[in-house]
Amino acid sequence: MASALQLVGIRKSFDGALALDGASFESQAGEVHALLGENGAGKSSLMNVAAGLYAPDAGSISIHGVPIALSGPAAARQHRIGMVHQHFKLVKPFTVAENVLLANPQPHFASGIRNIRAAIEKQVSELKFSIDPNRRIDTMTVAEQQQVEIVKVLVGGARILILDEPTAVLTDAEATGLLEIVQRLARAGTAVVLVTHKLQDVKRFADSVTIMRGGKTVAKLDPRQSSAEELTELTVGQTSALPERTPHQGGPTRLNVGALTYTRGDGRVMLKNTSFHVRAGEIYGIAGVSGNGQAELAEALIGAIEPSSGEIWLDGIGDISRASQAKRREAAIAAIPADRYTYALAGSLPISDNLAVAQIRSGRYGGVIKLDRAAIRQDAATAVKDYDVQGVRSVGQKASLLSGGNAQKLVIAREFSRNPNVVVAHSPSRGLDVRACAAVHQRLIAARERGAAIVLISEDLDEVLSLSDRIGVMSRGAIVGEFERPADRQAIGRAMVDHG
Amino acid sequence: MRQDLSPWKQAAFVGASLIFGLAISIAILAAAGIPPLTLASELAGVLTAENLRGVLVQAAPLILVGLGASLAFRIGFWNLGIEGQMIFGGIFAAAISIYDVGPQATRLLLMGSAAALGGALWVLLVVFLKNRFRVNEIIATLLLNYVAMYFLFHLLYGAWQDAKTAFPQSSPLRPFERLRDIGFGINSGLLIAIAGVLAAGWLIHLSRIGFYTRFISANPRMAKIVGVPVQTATVWIIAASGACCGLAGFVNVASQEGRLTQSYANGYVFSGVLIAFLSRNDPIVIAVVGFLIAVLFITGQTLQVFYQIPFTMVQMIEAIIVMAVASSEFLIRHRIRWLR
Repeated sequence: MASALQLVGIRKSFDGALALDGASFESQAGEVHALLGENGAGKSSLMNVAAGLYAPDAGSISIHGVPIALSGPAAARQHRIGMVHQHFKLVKPFTVAENVLLANPQPHFASGIRNIRAAIEKQVSELKFSIDPNRRIDTMTVAEQQQVEIVKVLVGGARILILDEPTAVLTDAEATGLLEIVQRLARAGTAVVLVTHKLQDVKRFADSVTIMRGGKTVAKLDPRQSSAEELTELTVGQTSALPERTPHQGGPTRLNVGALTYTRGDGRVMLKNTSFHVRAGEIYGIAGVSGNGQAELAEALIGAIEPSSGEIWLDGIGDISRASQAKRREAAIAAIPADRYTYALAGSLPISDNLAVAQIRSGRYGGVIKLDRAAIRQDAATAVKDYDVQGVRSVGQKASLLSGGNAQKLVIAREFSRNPNVVVAHSPSRGLDVRACAAVHQRLIAARERGAAIVLISEDLDEVLSLSDRIGVMSRGAIVGEFERPADRQAIGRAMVDHG
Repeated sequence: MRQDLSPWKQAAFVGASLIFGLAISIAILAAAGIPPLTLASELAGVLTAENLRGVLVQAAPLILVGLGASLAFRIGFWNLGIEGQMIFGGIFAAAISIYDVGPQATRLLLMGSAAALGGALWVLLVVFLKNRFRVNEIIATLLLNYVAMYFLFHLLYGAWQDAKTAFPQSSPLRPFERLRDIGFGINSGLLIAIAGVLAAGWLIHLSRIGFYTRFISANPRMAKIVGVPVQTATVWIIAASGACCGLAGFVNVASQEGRLTQSYANGYVFSGVLIAFLSRNDPIVIAVVGFLIAVLFITGQTLQVFYQIPFTMVQMIEAIIVMAVASSEFLIRHRIRWLR
């Protein structure tokens, strides 16, 4: 029997960075097929290709043995492929029926919404869901919204159902309930693809598993026949040779994070007694599956959010967790945030201004009365050259015109111009090509050699392993284990997933 | 969503919307009994030498409220309390006169400073409410206009009522407390407005605080992290906005009216927002647009006298133009595709 969904040799790059490098995938009707891999392994990208959202640069797609070309999500729907995304695509103030109608257009509204309601009720009773077609999305819990997404896709007639990290937003009980339903759907003949990074889900619910790493498919096997260790090793890969550098001297403690706790606006505890310290001349890596509080930790360190309790103590400065902006500036923390255009750059303003902004207050560019535009431009031109920022026609051009890697170099040029004592880098090489990535890593190593204390938060385990002197593994908002260099990759991998 | 549109195309969109708005206005006026040709001759009449003086007197407060609105808008603070700030500017200036503060030679300077202070304090009250209690500034500034207005009435029907005439207005300002003509039919109020344009131009284009302002409006979260004193810069810019409006109140009291009246701030919220909107918050353009709106005002007054057209008609035309320009913003950001 031909495979329900078959992807062969799929390649896809974004801004020169290769996301999918000849990846292949094959799943059968009637099975739950897990797609396992670390963040950034290319799982979601590959499935977005299957759902018609990304056009692949190369490779072929076949449905039930027939090669097809997908011009967009609508074409994928016609081929009865449906995808439930990690971030729901629902219109909040609309009712369930209206949302389903939006995704499955009908010729007439009044009769269309009646048909849709009937179709929803049929699916809901078959799946034993508990959603009312007339309820508004914004009155529903996350788990209910997810049910709406699934119903929406099934009402469209999907026979190939792709679920992207469906359990990431659910409690354990909700997740088990959902996966049981998914399993039932598969038994009824649907081909279910379960994109996940949770080993337990794979072991319990999947009939087969495909493992991806670095944009490539590395293995396809039966999860019941393989051990958790085997799956972990395939997911995180073999330990690669570490680059040479001077051994760590063990300077005085520069940064101490003590019992940091942060509760998000919606009541979810994102940081729970996070504690660690970083010495001068040391890179402290924080590894973990994304969504375990790394983003909040980075935001608390750079001052984007105020923790609920706990301290961020800096040598010679004191606790800055709730300090004024003036005190924070004195601390001169270099911030390299993961989301460059939210926390590090003003895209609509010139490159030169983005470089100068951190030093305006020091008086380097003139007093309160008049700024020295010529000096700003001149320094910007120098920084652009020193940090090899490509694609700059003029320092007056908007920062948003730079590609990801060059925007990152711009951020680093600004942050390192102050010779920082403490560097906080969150996924500093995300979305960068190999060359830009190496340049960023060199800058971090150089700062370490100069005696800075560096916190490197990254979901890319390779990055953490190759750069860090010590590694803390973060899970559910806390550091659950610490590893000295050279760290055992498998042990870290286990610490990451055992608690996830 | 459109990506970047060239500035020329953007200007073309704004221009086309403006013409569209004006066309509707002309049609409404025609329906109200003023044929377009009459309108044209009235407009031409406004621009003759003797009427031009009135236009320039009217332009001064309009330019000042335009500056006031634009400064606040630049930082994303929707200051709709222009009238309240004008009222307090006028009250503070009148207080200097009523309590006879300082020597004659510096009296006008004192009154102007007091007016700027009054306007700034009235808007800073809202900044406090916003920071401390998260009160929405659109509602707070707008409603505080009424508080200011009734406080003005309280003074004019009470302590500050003109004892001689018993009208609800203050006693007239003394001659040295008036903004006089400086020759060529130009009132010194206009000089204040021009000084305001230059000061605002300096503030936003050259000064350090203007640099900060650009970052705060482009990306407030990023601005805070890279060390921009967001709070301080915001407070100063908003205070400057209130000060401009306070000065507008002073100019009206000390030039046109010559005393504190009940209505010297009426209708300026709309005009200020309109001018800031049309000029895209640029001080030099504000001077030009302020002048054009003054022409509209004076024409409206003429029509009121000779054709019995209510003055609310002028405000309606303003509203139509605001809406037309606001919708051009939509066209600049979005591309419209007709389906079926």
